[in-house]
Amino acid sequence: MPEHSVEVLRGTLDLLILKSVSWGPTHGYAVARWIEQATDDVLRIEEGSLYPALHRLENRGWISAEWGLSEKNRRAKYYTLTAKGRTQLHLETVTWTRFAYAVFAALDAPPRPA
Amino acid sequence: MTPAPNWRRYLRFWRSNHASDFDDELEFHIEERADEYMARGMSADDARRTAIARLGNVDAARAECIVLGRVRDTRDRRADFFDGLRADVRFALRSLARSPGWTAVALLTIALGVGATTTVFSVVDALLIRTIPYPNASRVFLVGREITLGGEKLFGGVPFAALRAWRDNARTIEAAVTFIRDAGPLGTDPDAITVNAALIDTSFLAFAGTHPLIGRNFDSDEMMPGGPGAILLTEQFWRRQYNGSPDVIGKVVQFEGQPCTIVGVVPASLSIPDFGPRADVLLPLVILPRMYGVNVMVRLKPGVSRDMATGELNAIMNRVHVDALGMIDPTSMRLRLERPQDTLKIRQALLMLTGAVALLLLVACTNIAHLLLARGAARQRELAVRYALGARRSRLVRQLVTESVVLAMIGGALAIFVGWAGLKVLTAVRPVNLVALSYVSTSRDIVSVSAVLAILCGLVIGLLAALRTVHRDLGTVLRVGEASTPLTGRRLRAFLVVGEVALSTTLLVGALLLIHTVFDLQRTPLGFNARNLYAVSFQVKATERAAFGALLRERAARIAGAGHVTLATNAPSSNFMALSAFETSSHPATGAQEGTAFNFVAPDYFAMMGMPLVGGHTFEEESFARNEVIVSNSLAHQLWPGDDAVGRRFRNTVRRPDGSLRPWQTVIGVVPDVVRNLVVDTAEPAVYRPLDEPNGDRIALLIRLPGRDPVAILERFATSLQHGGSKPTIENVREDLDRSMAVPRFIMRILVAFAALGVLLAAIGLFGVISYSVAQRTREIGVRMALGATRGSIAGLIVGDGIRLALIGIAVGVLGALAATRFIQSLLYGVSRLDPFSFGAGAILLLATSVAACVVPMLRATSVDPAIAVRGE
Repeated sequence: MPEHSVEVLRGTLDLLILKSVSWGPTHGYAVARWIEQATDDVLRIEEGSLYPALHRLENRGWISAEWGLSEKNRRAKYYTLTAKGRTQLHLETVTWTRFAYAVFAALDAPPRPA
Repeated sequence: MTPAPNWRRYLRFWRSNHASDFDDELEFHIEERADEYMARGMSADDARRTAIARLGNVDAARAECIVLGRVRDTRDRRADFFDGLRADVRFALRSLARSPGWTAVALLTIALGVGATTTVFSVVDALLIRTIPYPNASRVFLVGREITLGGEKLFGGVPFAALRAWRDNARTIEAAVTFIRDAGPLGTDPDAITVNAALIDTSFLAFAGTHPLIGRNFDSDEMMPGGPGAILLTEQFWRRQYNGSPDVIGKVVQFEGQPCTIVGVVPASLSIPDFGPRADVLLPLVILPRMYGVNVMVRLKPGVSRDMATGELNAIMNRVHVDALGMIDPTSMRLRLERPQDTLKIRQALLMLTGAVALLLLVACTNIAHLLLARGAARQRELAVRYALGARRSRLVRQLVTESVVLAMIGGALAIFVGWAGLKVLTAVRPVNLVALSYVSTSRDIVSVSAVLAILCGLVIGLLAALRTVHRDLGTVLRVGEASTPLTGRRLRAFLVVGEVALSTTLLVGALLLIHTVFDLQRTPLGFNARNLYAVSFQVKATERAAFGALLRERAARIAGAGHVTLATNAPSSNFMALSAFETSSHPATGAQEGTAFNFVAPDYFAMMGMPLVGGHTFEEESFARNEVIVSNSLAHQLWPGDDAVGRRFRNTVRRPDGSLRPWQTVIGVVPDVVRNLVVDTAEPAVYRPLDEPNGDRIALLIRLPGRDPVAILERFATSLQHGGSKPTIENVREDLDRSMAVPRFIMRILVAFAALGVLLAAIGLFGVISYSVAQRTREIGVRMALGATRGSIAGLIVGDGIRLALIGIAVGVLGALAATRFIQSLLYGVSRLDPFSFGAGAILLLATSVAACVVPMLRATSVDPAIAVRGE
């Protein structure tokens, strides 16, 4: 486990989950792995809390769940992004990007005139 | 991903779904993570332990997931239910649309049955159930005298002297007010309009819990005879006539020629509790001490019973002097306290209509049950297939019930429209004097009642029919074939038909009884000739009457086609009624009697009316000066039984309203009794006086005018002669007389409509049952024909079935009618409620209808081709 890992904000976790299931049916473990790899192990999540987050998104109708068998013939629950979820992903991506740019812009700003 | 095998779900048997789902999901995660660690060289145990550690607080996550799962379950269940409902409704609509004929009949049945109920219920609710909008309305009663007038029980006004005594002495009442009705011209010629007025006393507004919107109430000066004239406008009249302008206060208007100052405007909500027309204006009830016919309304003190109050008011009235009561013997008077809504004259008739419409609704419901059962029977095969394919019985029942509720809802919506239209029709054919009926509107309560009624019918009948349709042997239908199913619901349907026929027989007998009554009443001998007889009445001052009369005769002679004419103050159909207490030279007056008719007539009146004198002669030049009168046969017999009345003298001891005595009068002629009110079966005593007597302010030209449009001719004639005061009125005497039987005729029309509807529904029911039985017995009929049965005998078989059911129904219905006609007895003037004509005609009509209903199925049965039918299936 990398040492400079960052606690993930709750809303951010939802956004990452939506992104991770956007390419097709994905199980919870794959979601956890993708977040590790895609963020170069910077973001750290408590893996147990991933599942309530998934179920909450399912209740909101952004993702749907279905039991299936993995490549290793293990029984796993697969999540798929719904049409409603895709819209939400798009919206949140835009919001997050604008937020991040705003913060960057502020940090890069020249020093405040005295 | 491959779908999980089905058996997995049995693992959930012991644990709650969501906990086990969560554990399964987590187990996968742990195994995958452990695999990853093992690939990096960890031992299996370490790998698993590390994987679990990375998960963090598993218990909290599990608890959260279980809650989230439950939320999802609830939502899914609800969505499932609504999806199912939506599908069922869509399915129902499609399936109804597929059989438009059946659907139309069913919708029509519901719409007419529930619609008629809505109409009647609107009327009953508005007129009989709702209390007047007064404070403490439960303690408000009208006080009246019980009067029997020619067999008719009436609720009459009370003497003013009694009211005064009650106000002074009664301890059981909180307040007593009085009112009477009037109508007259408001304004000056030629712009005068006729307005409805109510004359009230000063405390009336407070009693009704209201006060003037603007201006003030009458004051005590204005109540005095000869006091300043004052008038109150009602809000609706003020808005209509004066555009709601506040400047009207203080203006002076003419009412019946008297100047009155407008002192205020009262709210539209003020109601006068007598079912009369809405008042336009209110006037002070200027009291003449000997008035004996005022309406009195009291509010009892809390806790006082109606009987206690009646007793006390009676006792107080008995102490009032006979003379002050206008010669009415107080001990002969029986007081009654009635709730205002109970004084409606056609109350009994309306209650009876409620019963009739309930019967009609029952017939309609029975018919719906029929239609549903027939439909169910026709769908046995479809249902059996769906059952065989795995649909549960409860699902099929739900489907069928949804269908009938959908049907009921559409029918209910139509019923609201039918109810509204019914009210319009009822108002259009209402008796003229039942003004209150035209104020009845379909309220929101009524709409909801009919909606609930329709849906309830759909639900209950639909459920019963569905349970019967989706029977336990549904599985066998496919095996044995539809045509040979063991008679699904056939006995139940036969029973329903018998019920329908019985109920409509009862309705029909009731309708026929009223038809018979109206027919008889129309042929009542009148005692005079009403053929083509018209009365054109003018308002004219008593002093100008003679001159105006001469002008009338002269002008009338020029009307083309006019035969004889004559003059009188009143037409025979509208003789005015007054109280009388006659004394003769040999007998002192006994108690006063109601309903002696008075008329002032020209000498040629009797000849023109076709009333040959029984004795004596008609008036002469000097008759008025000599105080001569002509009396009716019945009055002559009453005063001088068995004796010749001509030449005898008598006097009416009831004083004039101003207190003066009336003179002695000599009988110079006796004429036949005339009928003024068709529903009254005893002759009214009548007194005729010469037209020369300057009394009253009316004169009527009586004229016989055959031809196409006499009213138009007479209208032109009347306008050309209009003589101050209010507009002349033109009456057709025959129509005027017929109005006295307006209530029985009104009820007759409604009952005939109900009965026709009931019989039609019963015929549809019978037709359905016989058609169904023919369809089921096609094979049997084929076999019979193959074995040599003639078409005639097959026809007999089928019609015989129908007739048997109809006869049982008619028998039950006749028994029902024997019991039910008790409730319409009061409307059957002179016709026995066991009238054999009505019962016989009712039975025969229904039998004929039943035979007619069997004709089409019979034709179908006799056209069966034995070769096809036997091979059939």
